[in-house]
Amino acid sequence: MSLVGKKCESISLHETNRSGAMCDITPEEVLKLENITESYLCSPEANVYDIDFTRFKIRDLETGTILFEIAKPPTDFGVENDGTDDGSEEPLDPNAGRFVRVEFTVGSRPVNHFRMIEKHFFRDTLLKTFDFEFGFCIPFSRNTCEHIYEFPTLPPDLVEEMIAAPFETCSDSFYFVDNRLVMHNKADYAYNGGINN
Amino acid sequence: MGFLTILKKLRQKEKEMRILMLGLDNAGKTTILKRFNGEPIDTISPTLGFNIKTLEHKGFKLNIWDVGGQKSLRSYWKNYFESTDGVVWVVDSADWRRLGDCAKELHTLLREERLAGATLLVFANKSDLPGALTVEEIKEALDLDNIKSHHWRIVPSSAVTGENLLDGVDWMLDDIASRIFTLD
Repeated sequence: MSLVGKKCESISLHETNRSGAMCDITPEEVLKLENITESYLCSPEANVYDIDFTRFKIRDLETGTILFEIAKPPTDFGVENDGTDDGSEEPLDPNAGRFVRVEFTVGSRPVNHFRMIEKHFFRDTLLKTFDFEFGFCIPFSRNTCEHIYEFPTLPPDLVEEMIAAPFETCSDSFYFVDNRLVMHNKADYAYNGGINN
Repeated sequence: MGFLTILKKLRQKEKEMRILMLGLDNAGKTTILKRFNGEPIDTISPTLGFNIKTLEHKGFKLNIWDVGGQKSLRSYWKNYFESTDGVVWVVDSADWRRLGDCAKELHTLLREERLAGATLLVFANKSDLPGALTVEEIKEALDLDNIKSHHWRIVPSSAVTGENLLDGVDWMLDDIASRIFTLD
């Protein structure tokens, strides 16, 4: 099974839900969520630290080959969201280990206890929860973080369902600073049968 | 069962270690990290923040933090001390002009309470460069023999050739593991 599409939507692109009233959700509450959220749980204005994700890259764990890479052009406000990758021909096997690297910049304010919680779902099935504390970020810094990223081994019938239902595999990424939600991003994924399957 | 025992058991289960890489700018910290991780090292720019890598090695999950070494960034190092199991101090062996600075920063670091238990690995990096000082010379300049507060070791290394990177890290992991993953 390979990833054939990823749609990333940045909250910056949306005009809805600007109240900011719901930003008081805690990391503990987010960890307990059993479904993808219907809407964004915080407004773009919640990102008072100007945290900006500028690059996203997936490398194969064994060979180091870059499987997927999107970079945000400095002039463009919002992550590329046309659902295509950079033309890489390599299949993405969700059962194989890989490195996921993100790069982000922060603004003039120091950031304390920066934490990411990412939840991946296929329909109502939670596939994976990823919880990582970046900790402190230096004002005006550019930072990178690369993780080994593995899905739990998925049963073949689930994999088939995921292939048959493009963009019904979704993720919610929640970013907290000092336990306060400052960013919420969503992505949808499409897979097809990889050459190894 | 005391709190410490419970703590040790928890960590034993996770087999997770936090490693902090520091040193003056241009010592080669990011290059070492990339080299260790099998990434290309031809285009490396100064780190103006941190690079984090999580990787698995010898059955441990390593969280390695490489924090920029420019003078303006050093005052922020303290924000990364918490829960650190091992410090990798990277020295540019060919930069004899700044060895005094380097020694001063290292000894300031070692006085830090939150790093009290941490194992110290010193990479005398760029040892393959012509004009590089020997490990003995670096050891003396950094006054390593006077460090009684930490387990330490110095290893000549080259991020470009890969020399000794694994040996050094393996020693550090063994030292940390014997300290935090065994029940006494």
